[in-house]
Formats: sequence, structure tokens, C-alpha cells
Amino acid sequence: MTGSPFDAWYVPGWVEPPAGPDRLQGPFPLRLPGGDAEWVRKLVIGLHERREALLRRPVVSIVSALGSVGARLLDPEDLLRAEALDLLPGSAGLSAPMAAAVLDGMASDWTTDRLTGLLTAEFPDPDVLDAFARGRHGRLRAMSPGVCVQIVAGSVPGVGVTALVRSLLTKAPTLLKPGRGDVVLPVLFARALMESDPDLGKAVAVVYWPRAQAELEAAALRGAGVVVAYGGDEAVRSVRDRTPVSVQFVPYHHRVSFGVVGRDALAPARIHRTASEAAGAVAFFDQRGCVSPHVLYVEEGGHHDAEDFGRALASALAILESNLPGGRLESGEGARLQQERGSAELRAAAGLGVVVFHGGAASWTVVCDPEADFEPLCTGRFVRLRSVSDVRQVPSLVSPLAGHLQTAGVAGCGGRLTGLAEELARVGVTRVAALPDVPFPPPWWHHDGSGPLTSLVRWVDLAG
Amino acid sequence: MNSLQGWEALASELEALFRRGVHETLEEERFTRIALRVFGHQYRGCSAYRAYCQARSKTPVDVQRWQDVPMVPTRGFKDVELLSADRAEAVFLTSGTSRGPEARGRHFVPRLSLYRSAALTSFAAHVLPEGRAAAMLSLVPSPRIQPRSSLSAMVEMVAQDLVEEAVWLGDGEPGPDPDLLEAAADRLAAETRPVLMVGTAFAFVHLLDALSARGSSVRLPGSARIMETGGFKGRSRTVSRRELYDALEERLGVPPTRIVNEYGMTELLSQLYEPILTEGREGSGWHVAPPWLRVRALDPSTLAPLESGTPGLLAFFDLANAGSVAHVLTEDVGVVTGGRVRLQGRSAGAEPRGCSLAAEELLLAAEGST
Repeated sequence: MTGSPFDAWYVPGWVEPPAGPDRLQGPFPLRLPGGDAEWVRKLVIGLHERREALLRRPVVSIVSALGSVGARLLDPEDLLRAEALDLLPGSAGLSAPMAAAVLDGMASDWTTDRLTGLLTAEFPDPDVLDAFARGRHGRLRAMSPGVCVQIVAGSVPGVGVTALVRSLLTKAPTLLKPGRGDVVLPVLFARALMESDPDLGKAVAVVYWPRAQAELEAAALRGAGVVVAYGGDEAVRSVRDRTPVSVQFVPYHHRVSFGVVGRDALAPARIHRTASEAAGAVAFFDQRGCVSPHVLYVEEGGHHDAEDFGRALASALAILESNLPGGRLESGEGARLQQERGSAELRAAAGLGVVVFHGGAASWTVVCDPEADFEPLCTGRFVRLRSVSDVRQVPSLVSPLAGHLQTAGVAGCGGRLTGLAEELARVGVTRVAALPDVPFPPPWWHHDGSGPLTSLVRWVDLAG
Repeated sequence: MNSLQGWEALASELEALFRRGVHETLEEERFTRIALRVFGHQYRGCSAYRAYCQARSKTPVDVQRWQDVPMVPTRGFKDVELLSADRAEAVFLTSGTSRGPEARGRHFVPRLSLYRSAALTSFAAHVLPEGRAAAMLSLVPSPRIQPRSSLSAMVEMVAQDLVEEAVWLGDGEPGPDPDLLEAAADRLAAETRPVLMVGTAFAFVHLLDALSARGSSVRLPGSARIMETGGFKGRSRTVSRRELYDALEERLGVPPTRIVNEYGMTELLSQLYEPILTEGREGSGWHVAPPWLRVRALDPSTLAPLESGTPGLLAFFDLANAGSVAHVLTEDVGVVTGGRVRLQGRSAGAEPRGCSLAAEELLLAAEGST
């Protein structure tokens, strides 16, 4: 971690901010750009002026420009990756090995190959992004509506760059406000893009501002053609309420995920592998991801029961703790963890059928709780196990949080998977994935149920 | 001595200790001795707590320091009956959360006089240092309206023992009654003895809104002081403390130097106060614990004690909790220096971590209230 504060912005040269003395203290101090609403307004106007150049550019050239920066972040010899690895642990509150694993997982989706996959998954004929192209019923064009303003809250590193890459693929000049714990990667990415492809680099600005500086956000929103908001329900609602009605709005509000462990995955030859996969799903991002499971439903009737699985999961989390140690907890996260862990132990002591395994000073905690409701109690590798007599019970158990469901990580459901997925889809789950795939959805996943690129464009029909 | 007699003797001794006042020093050795007796009693009296201690290999035989007595998280009051006696004279409930009444914490109080002596001694010292008050205007509803509120019970005790007259402004629907307040203020205008107004910060905001809506303000006599408590946890509207205090001065005529903040919770029968009336501005921002309440700041991950001045999770050893569990770990964050606390609330200015759901938000959503 560096001692001097990190500059929490990267903007094209023609709108350098005043860079006042503003600092954000904390474990990873930030220097703020110090610009006011007028500066943000000019920034957005400047970005808008880059739109023409982007629209003229073939989308494949944008893919390769972005892909080459993504490749640098994966290249062990590259200084850009070294810088990211140096800054990420402090910035995101992750341990160094976890930060490296997260960077690998995220950046592998920013390569030319994967971005091409994303583009063609979203637009079977990507030419619609360059010009009118023939569709099944006449000619079609996918047009970005203007400057894309993306407001991200939260600390999961990589979310900001993924957001940036998506909007650039639709040819939208982009202003990104990253989350407090995700400032580093977008700033490094934008800087590297400017070095390798100034034409594209000039269409990107990354500026962090604290939530209290609402006037900066308002100025950005006023100039937007499309707005994307990531964060808690309140944060997303607040951005939505300030976005003009005529501006396209894409919400990524809070989501919560869970796991389903079918009895086949509890066979003696398999239980430890299942536990290790589940441990990875819980531990990645120290459970701060929307894909991170909080409750695992464990099916009865297999060779092992939920408590056996809890014990195996505890060993797997203990092993992960040495390979990918847990990071720094905010005091609020620590407070919640201690409350939940302590009260689970108290319920265990009171004979309420609860069994607890935990890592002491390490945050990982496994609570086998026959009554576990589906709610995310805390972050930091805290997972609860609940027995179900059949995996078909799971959809109704998670349905109270219907509008917030996201990933169901599954194992051992065999031929029942499709039927289960159908029921999960009906209650609002938008992704069913094998446990090992849970932390890193592919770039073309239907993020919270919609197309990551198609949600950013306007379709234009040309008849006749 | 059987356990009932042992409990009665211990409780009587503690009451006598509390009555000696907040300035009575209780040196570490003596505090430890009493604390370990309280622990022994709780270990014997509460089976769930006993099993909890045994699971940690921290039984009265193992523990020599009060700091090593197993802590129970405040959340534990929601799940388990933490009563270290045969029966409770009262059960106080924590304020409701979005999880509904079944998830409210319950504090079982086997002997109310223990609460009374602890609460009134601190209250008198910090809110009425000059002596009895002529009148108390309470925005806190009386126990008639809120029979399970420990705050209502405390204010009722104040009404019984420390003031000549109590006016319950918060008993009507739908909130504090400005007419009653104006009438009381007129009547007390010439009063030279202390006049007291108590309420939660949230209730004061509502009262101020009501006064401001009718464009009126009230002038409490110069001897008036306010005790306000509680934050805005779970409330839709929040106001900064500074704004609240400015408005209290403007609408009620009570300056910030006469507004005492109380820090307490249902899970603790002792309270801490900002010593603003006794120490003036010097005391502002700090909360003082009575000698029978020890507070530490602990590392949020390891629960190791932190150096003086480092913010951490606040843990309390409260001898007034002798009938339930005395060593309590809270979710609150603060700095502890010389037995005083500077509250920081939840990691100030921090964004919620990650895109994983904030539990409260989700629960609200689940109930369809957002």
C-alpha cells in the first residue's frame, strides 16, 4: 500500500480538474479532483463532443483497443498489472492474494476474445453498431443515446472497468463515478487506454466523488444520454429520481445470492470437492459481491447431512483462509459479524439445534441453522446452512426476496437441474450456475436479467 | 446460602453501591471482585449462558479478570432468554426492527429496584445536578402507553423520584402535543427551580416540525434543560445533531449548553451521559459512564482490546445487568479514553460495502414497504 493519497480521477487532458486540497482519509487515502458542478458540466460536454469520432469508428477496433488494455492487466510482466496489484489490496480492503485472484478473474473477461464473445452474444450482427444493417424485418441500427454516465457505489473491484467497457462497446463516451473501494482499476484502465489509443481514451473520464457531493452527480446526470446506477436500493433510487425521464436508465440495485447443494454432491467421494467449491463462492470478494451466496440449502437424504457438510465447508474455508486470506473488515462489517456469530453461538448453547464453526480472528463462519431465514446477515465469509428435505423446497424459501434474487449456485442436482432452474426463474432468480463458476459470470451473462450491452442502446428501425 | 438468598444479597449490595453516586470511585480490584461475583451468579442462574461459557472454556474457575468474562452480543437478547434468576419483575423490549415484533430483543429484569437505583443516580448527577426539578415535560410516552419500554420505565422513575410534576406530552396520538407544551411553558414561565424536558431525538424533531408548521415557538424558563437520547436508526428522516440543537434553541429557548445527550440501550440497565451541565463545553462529545459500568473499545475483527483513543466496537460490563448478562458486546463504534466514550456510530461516511444487499434494505423490500 502506498503512503501518499491516490488521485481519485482520470480525465482527458482538456478538462484537468483544479485538484484542490480535498482528501478522503482512511486506510486508503484518496485525493479528490476538487472540481465543482460547473467543471463536471464542462467535462460531460467535452465527452459529448467525442461522440462523433466514436460513432465513425468500427466497433471491432474498439474491441481490440479495450482488449489490449485488458491483456496488459493479465500480463505478469506488465507494469500496469504490477501497479494494480500494488494498489488493489489497500483500495478494496482485500488481502493481496485475494486481490490478485479477483484481478485475474475480472480481467480475463476484458480480453479481445471475451469482448468479441460479449459483442456477438448481444448483437448477433455487430454491424448494427456501425451502420444500419439488414435484420429479419427491415434494416436496424443500435444507437447509443449519448454520453453514458455510470454511478457505482460499493467496493467490489472490477465492477467499474466492466461498466466502462460495456458502454464503450456501444460507442458511448463515458463518465464513470466508481465505488470508493473500486477507484484504482478504472483510473489505471482509463490512463492505459489514453496511452495506447488516445482517440478512445479521450472519450473516457473517471471521477470519484463522495456521496455528499450530490451537486457533482446532478451535473453529470443532466448531460447524460444513458445512465447506469450500481449500488444499494437507496443509492439507485436516488440516481433514478434525478435522471430525466427521457434518459435511458439501467438500474443494478442490490441483489442477493444463495446456493443449493443436492444430495448427489454429498456423496463420500464428492463432499469435500463440493465444500471447497462452496467455500470459493462464499470467500471471493470477501462475500461482498452480489453473486456471493449467503445461505446454502443442503438436501437431506444423501450420505452426509447438513452438519457434516458444515464441517467440511469449515475445513475448506480454513484452507482458503491460508491461500486467499480474508481482508480488512470495516468496523460496521466487523460489528455485524460479531453480533451474528456470537448470537449463533448463544443459540447453539441454548440447545436450539444450531451448530457453529468459525475461524476466530479470521472472519469465516459457518452456521448450521435449521431455522435460517433467507437474508444476507453480514459480509466477510459468513454463511448459513439450512437443511431441506428436497431441493424443490428452495424456490419458496427464497421467494420472499423475489425482486432481489440473483445467482443460485448449484451442485449435485443431476437431472433435476432444469426443473429446479425453471422454478427458481419463476421466483426471480436470474442466474443458475455451478458452484465453481459463481464468482465470475461470463461477460455475456444477462446481468440481473437484461443484456449488458443491449440495455445501453436505442434500437432504430429503418423501413422502406 | 441458597442461590435465591445469594442473588438477593448481591442485588442489595449493588443497589447500595449505585446509590453512593457516580463520583464514588470503584477501583479496578474491587470492580473485578464484584464483577466476578456477578459472573458466578449469572453462570449458575442462566443455563444458556452457562453452556455458552462452557463452550468457550470460560467458567468462573477459569476467569480471573472481568475482561475475560464471555461477552454476549446485543443481538443475543433477541434469540435467547438471558435471565439469571427464577423470575423477572419486568421484561423490556428493544425497539422494533423491520423484522417485526418477534425479532425484538428482550431484557429480563428480575429486580426493578436495581434498575431504578442505577438509572436515577446517573440521571440525577448529569441532568439534575442542582437537585429536584419543578416539572418534567416528557415526549417519551409513559409506561401506560409503552409498558415494555425501558426508556419509558426510566422516565417514569424520574417522574416519581426526581420531579414535582410530570407532564406526558407524548401519550396522545399521533405524536407530541404542541398545545400541551405551550400551556405547560406558560405556566412554568416564572419557575426558577429546574425544569426538565426529555425525549428521543426523533420525537423532538416531530415536535419541532409541529411547532414550525404553526409558526410558533415556546420559551421554556432559564432553568430548563433537555435530555435527548437515541439516534435515527431505522427512521426515514434524519437530522444532524447540530441542526437539531439549533432548532431546539430557536423553538424552545434551550441553548446547546443545556442539552444533555444520553447514550443507553435496552440491553444495558446503566446509561452514559454527556457531562455538559457539569463540565460545560469541555464535556461536549463525550459520554461518561458511572463507576459500576466499564467500557472498552475492541478490534472489530479479533475483539482484542484497542489502545486508548483507537475506535472500535464498544463492549460494556454493567453491574446493573446482574439479573441478566453483564458483559455485552454492542454494534456501536467509538473511542474510549479514561472511561469516557466518544461515539462514532457506524463507520462514518462509509459506503455500504459491495453490491451485496444491505440487510435492512432487503427486509424492508421483503415486506413491501419500499
